[in-house]
Amino acid sequence: MPVDDVVLATQGDTAAFERVYRAHLPRIFNLARRMAGPDAAEELTQDVFVRAWQKLALFRGESSFATWLHRLAVNVIIERFRTLGTARERFLADGEAVLEIAPAAPTRHVDLSMDLQAAIAQLPDGARQVFVLHDVEGYKHEEIGNLLGVSPGTSKSQLHRARQTLRGLLLKKKALAETDGRN
Amino acid sequence: MNEQRRFGEDDHGPLQPDDILAQAIGQWREELPTRDLWSGIESRLEARATTTRRVTFTFTISQLAIAASLLIAVAAGVTWLATNRSAGTGGAANGGEVIQAYTTGAPEAAGGQIVPANFADAQFNAAVTDLERILREERGRLDPRTVLILERNLKAIDDAINEARMALESDPANPFLNSHLADARRRKLDLLRHATELASTGGD
Repeated sequence: MPVDDVVLATQGDTAAFERVYRAHLPRIFNLARRMAGPDAAEELTQDVFVRAWQKLALFRGESSFATWLHRLAVNVIIERFRTLGTARERFLADGEAVLEIAPAAPTRHVDLSMDLQAAIAQLPDGARQVFVLHDVEGYKHEEIGNLLGVSPGTSKSQLHRARQTLRGLLLKKKALAETDGRN
Repeated sequence: MNEQRRFGEDDHGPLQPDDILAQAIGQWREELPTRDLWSGIESRLEARATTTRRVTFTFTISQLAIAASLLIAVAAGVTWLATNRSAGTGGAANGGEVIQAYTTGAPEAAGGQIVPANFADAQFNAAVTDLERILREERGRLDPRTVLILERNLKAIDDAINEARMALESDPANPFLNSHLADARRRKLDLLRHATELASTGGD
């Protein structure tokens, strides 16, 4: 995408902003899908781009536009969870049992990505955000702590527990598929 | 579950490539929305643009005349203030007088001569130094979040000033850049002035 489109959009050019939107849609939509789940992803994606339009004047080119937009998107998504409150527990408690995943029809080919999507949907919001931000998006624990309003230690422990939970679910699914493959 | 057991309590660093989680993330495909999201976004952008336009066109000639009168009154007040202070002190000439008088009421001014507030370097720097000193002394009375926002805004304005200065080095007569620089300096002075006023009232 030409850098000029960001400049034009900053000056109020909605056609240029649409080109910016098209160029960055896959990255932002998938971030929202992973952090918030498929049901909320589309609405959140719209919120992110509306917020970006409102904040464009603050983009000063100190980082790449993609980095700026990504950070803004993470903030919008986290804000949404804060606004909704804690209908579910945000984080995994010490010693919490590994979550059960709904059994799917066994297949010979193990599609780990589909299983992962289903598995992370069962994590509490905070634990899922820590996992996605760290292991998928590459954020550091200090950054995650700042974004979520928790200590880096909490981020580390949540990541550890989220990983344990997810590995358990994936290994179980993998074992089921392998057993079916031998029969 | 041997694979699960090998991860201890310190399992919070980067994933190993042979980790089943790393493999699953590697297979995670990108997806696109099931519907076009742009129309919903665009309608929200247009709503904002319409609001902006409406505000822009509500100014009438009489309102503009009132605004112009107000501006003249303020300019006259500043001139009066500068004249009075210079007459009272017969002070030393240092080139920063008018803006200092305008912004902080500093006592010195050039001997009876009114220097236009053209936001030249010396004037601007003197005014900023003065206000920054006051702010340093009083900042403990401000909420830390206010200080953080203030510092971010000041940095953004400083960046704008530096960019305009650099651009002007290669195109000194450019009217847009000159106007942009003057505007950024004015914004910095306004922000500092408001911050010092806020601090002096204890952040109320």
